[in-house]
Amino acid sequence: MKIGLEVHVALPTKSKLFCSCSSISDEPNSAICPICMGFPGSKPMLNGAALSQAINVANALNCKISESTSFVRKVYFYPDLPKSYQITQTQGAIGGNGSVELESKRIGIRRIQLEEDPAKIVREENYTLIDFNRSGVPLVEIVTEPDISSEEELREFVFALKSILYYLGIDIEKELKVDLNISVAKERVEIKNVTGLRNLIDAARYEIKRQQELVAKKQKVESETRSYNEKAMRTESSREKESDEEYGFIYDPDLTSYSTKSASVQKPVYAGKIAREYGKKYGGAAKTILELIQFDKRSLELIDYAKAKWPMQNIINVVEVLKKYGHMDIPDEKFTRLIEIAKSGTPVNEQVLKQVIKGAAVETSNVGSTDIDKEIKAMIKANQKLLKEYDKNPKVFNFIIGEVAKKLKANPKDVSARLSSILEKI
Amino acid sequence: MGVISEFRKMGKNGSYHQTLIKDLKRINEKLQFLGALNESLTEGIPFTVKDNICVKGFEARAGSKILGGYVPPFNATAVERMLAKGFGFLGKTQMDEFGFGSFGINTQVQARNPFNPDKVAGGSSSGAAVATAVMKYHVAIAESTGGSISNPAAFCGVLGFTPTYGTVSRYGLIDYANSLDKIGIMGRSGDDIREVFDIIKGADRYDSTCVDTKVKGEGKKKLVVINQLMKGIDEEILSSFDSLLSQLGEMGYKVEHVSIDSITKAIPAYYIISMAEASTNLAKYTGYKYGLQRESFTEKYNAFFTGARAAFGTEAKRRIVLGTFVRSESVKDKYYTKALQFRTAITNKLGQILKDAFIISPTMPITAPDFEQAAKLTPLQTYAMDSLTIPPNLSGLPHISFPCDYKRRMPVGAQLITGHFNDYALLDFVSEWEKRFEYRFKYSLGAI
Repeated sequence: MKIGLEVHVALPTKSKLFCSCSSISDEPNSAICPICMGFPGSKPMLNGAALSQAINVANALNCKISESTSFVRKVYFYPDLPKSYQITQTQGAIGGNGSVELESKRIGIRRIQLEEDPAKIVREENYTLIDFNRSGVPLVEIVTEPDISSEEELREFVFALKSILYYLGIDIEKELKVDLNISVAKERVEIKNVTGLRNLIDAARYEIKRQQELVAKKQKVESETRSYNEKAMRTESSREKESDEEYGFIYDPDLTSYSTKSASVQKPVYAGKIAREYGKKYGGAAKTILELIQFDKRSLELIDYAKAKWPMQNIINVVEVLKKYGHMDIPDEKFTRLIEIAKSGTPVNEQVLKQVIKGAAVETSNVGSTDIDKEIKAMIKANQKLLKEYDKNPKVFNFIIGEVAKKLKANPKDVSARLSSILEKI
Repeated sequence: MGVISEFRKMGKNGSYHQTLIKDLKRINEKLQFLGALNESLTEGIPFTVKDNICVKGFEARAGSKILGGYVPPFNATAVERMLAKGFGFLGKTQMDEFGFGSFGINTQVQARNPFNPDKVAGGSSSGAAVATAVMKYHVAIAESTGGSISNPAAFCGVLGFTPTYGTVSRYGLIDYANSLDKIGIMGRSGDDIREVFDIIKGADRYDSTCVDTKVKGEGKKKLVVINQLMKGIDEEILSSFDSLLSQLGEMGYKVEHVSIDSITKAIPAYYIISMAEASTNLAKYTGYKYGLQRESFTEKYNAFFTGARAAFGTEAKRRIVLGTFVRSESVKDKYYTKALQFRTAITNKLGQILKDAFIISPTMPITAPDFEQAAKLTPLQTYAMDSLTIPPNLSGLPHISFPCDYKRRMPVGAQLITGHFNDYALLDFVSEWEKRFEYRFKYSLGAI
């Protein structure tokens, strides 16, 4: 089975791709101007921020980035397209030849291109309205190779992509339009314009099953364009052949070619890779780590801060609790304290969390062979004389606590509690 | 001294403009060269604007029915810059629909030649040339894609300057073929054109193809005549041109004849590229956002669009069909891509010649024809009329048409071409020419 995607994602720029209108607006037809309405006489000017974001997407998807990039006109007539052509890219695209790494597979990325979004069509029962606020919003189109070979892989790919984009500050769910190509047998079926992640997975599941059933019955799968009916949750034939499409592309002579060199490129974050690596190196289930960090930058920050000092399982537990009760903005020392508590064996729950955030002491219960115990015992062993004096001189007590706390960077309260319990036994 | 400086010295305001407008309206009944008129103008040196260039608040039809009622909500950059310098916007000038024509007849209102109203004014900037030919204190902002400034300037006996592609912002220009469209100037003297050029040129944040490259004025003493371009030119034009060359010889210029076989490819290359681009530019006219508004919204959208697009004139329809064809997937390489290659080759070839020479030719192969004659020409015969003006336009080279003779009381124009961004050399040349040759104008409205 071969599945390939053309994913269109809106870029979070302040203004539109070719004019200074806001790309976010509520009131229909409020963020419009002669340029994004295609008024005669207006000309497009490229938004550098959109170009820069698209370059970052290409970079994060391991693409080869073109030195300079240019635009074409794709001509077709539809009420949502004010100029009756869309400014998009073909040969002069931002980049291509990239990949997304999954757990056990690499999915090829054929091309990354930047283009303008058409207007939004609002269909009412007896009429249709057009909201041009969306006209000209920058979209990045990500075209994959047909390397995906199951629904599971599709899901993994889509979430990996969503995570990579999330770390670039791009929310895939804000506006997602996908053309889905599926061939179970030889014939390719394209499902056009599937919107949203959930529909994408549902449409793929339906279409895979449909084609599998045809193949099982030894019937021919028609090579065609289909659309996804959200309500009925099934794909339906659009009764058009892809070969009928004729866009008459020409380069857009209102725009020039643009260097990609000056864009500042962010280091991409691959959550899946990090989760697998941390799992191996620090312990803890890669899957759990991934769940925490895939769409949460702060989780990754907290884990990164603590990972070399504490057992991964304790860190995970604490981060999960912080997340659950909405305290991800916790300062470092309180976060450390929570991990210490977790490590001591006391479960970190809402109650404990509240105490630590307030700065109150927390009783820990574990009497096991913690690092503190080891260190205290070593101190006692090395200073037998001190042991004899301890009930006469309380300063000795404080000296041991101080030394141990300093050495382990531990909380003196914890050391004190451990020391008392050890001394009682002696 | 140009008329602009003269006017400034006189400092005319108020009733001057009102009298001029009254006179203009009277003469316009005969010559039909005006579009929307700024009747409330009371100050500034008058300038007119070709009707495909937007002036805020004034209808811009670009010669087309489909744009009837389109009132742009913004000024073209060139217009904005003229207004900022205190020039007074007088009105819009007629043109062939979207610039598609050589005689100003592909539109509902056909401008007439001031030297003989039975003859055409040229095209597509027909109205701009007539306005320049009838008014004394005035300059015209016009536009050329394949010769739309040179052609009517020659037919109406005025100067028509088309600058290097990219020196003047196209923002506010209703597109014909974006990679070829150039806003330029018509006037009565080199000095006036220079002043206006300095005002409107320069980079613009609203046009990516407009640049700030320094414009030079390197004079050349060699004049190159391209043999292939001298075919099919009327005898009387050739005799005027010969006389021009001998006068220029007296002024110290040396004439050289060269052959460039590939130059004959300029016409097909130009028409393929311009029609391909035009067919995408005209796609936006669908009858519901601006200009012509369809009344009934009950049809399916394809039928609705088709209904609106019936308003295009014949030549516009022809160019949409041909332009859509040459960029379609199965033949694109054969036509569109090849035309782009020819453009590059021709541009390189002309560039070599222009390093140490001007290229000179008549502007048009004939003097202005009668309306009847012009209407009888087939599209191919009409396209051939542009053989002399197309090469510099295809290559984005600056060129100027200047009056050099009069035959049977009709003006004859010659065209001088120079290298990219050497525009001032053309203006220096005409300033020198004007010292020897006196231009004739039948009218000088507004003269004092």
